[in-house]
Amino acid sequence: MNLPDIPLLSLLRERMTWLNKRQDVLSQNVANADTPGYVARDLKPEDFDAMLRSGGTGARLVTTNARHIAVTASPSLIEEEMAPSQPYAHNGTGVSLEEEMIKVADTQAQFQAAANLYSKAMTLMRTAIGH
Amino acid sequence: MDFSKAMAVAASGLRAQNLRMRIISENIANANSTSPTPGGEPYRRKIATMKPEFDRELGATVVETGKPMLDRSDFRSQYDPGNPNADAKGYVKLPNVDSLVEIMDMREAQRSYQADLTVMDATKQMLSKTVDLLK
Repeated sequence: MNLPDIPLLSLLRERMTWLNKRQDVLSQNVANADTPGYVARDLKPEDFDAMLRSGGTGARLVTTNARHIAVTASPSLIEEEMAPSQPYAHNGTGVSLEEEMIKVADTQAQFQAAANLYSKAMTLMRTAIGH
Repeated sequence: MDFSKAMAVAASGLRAQNLRMRIISENIANANSTSPTPGGEPYRRKIATMKPEFDRELGATVVETGKPMLDRSDFRSQYDPGNPNADAKGYVKLPNVDSLVEIMDMREAQRSYQADLTVMDATKQMLSKTVDLLK
């Protein structure tokens, strides 16, 4: 068993990748906060059921026949256009800077939590191997 | 994991707001600049333009600044018959710069700049958290 294949670590890694992608999208929203015609975007929230089905925890479609087509499903990270809930922009942009700031802070905190959990899991493993 | 993308996008935002600030300061500095020659036009207010642009190399939508546009609104005129630039009726054309509008624009640019910096800061901390996993 490879170290990165341990379910807990791979889940945390996926979580961190998702948060990293979200940070990318949020930074685009903030950079274009004053661009006319730009509409804020966000990632689809992570869905536990969908992740479970798509193999986030190791459950995969098995190929038992040579003619089977292997499905390498990864959780889809599709960007969603978000219609502005209210016409908050006076200059024709669809970005609420306050909302984006909250999301950035949230993403940062979630990432910190995931990173801390990751290092805790590593410490546990280190304890198990007697270091 | 690649944090440089978020950083580069935030940097493009900083650059755009910086250019916008420069144009606003040009407007404020020239708020009273009349024409250098009699009968000519005074300073015309400039407007910064921005558009979203998909950077193929980066794979993200950065903000791109366009050519500054000129404000087509009418000039202010002031009665000043002693001025060498005054017309036959004694009126002098002044730039169409409203300092109140410029100050508001400046505040907005400042706020957006701060937001971009906050994103950069958050991304930097996420990066350092990742590096800390090596400890």
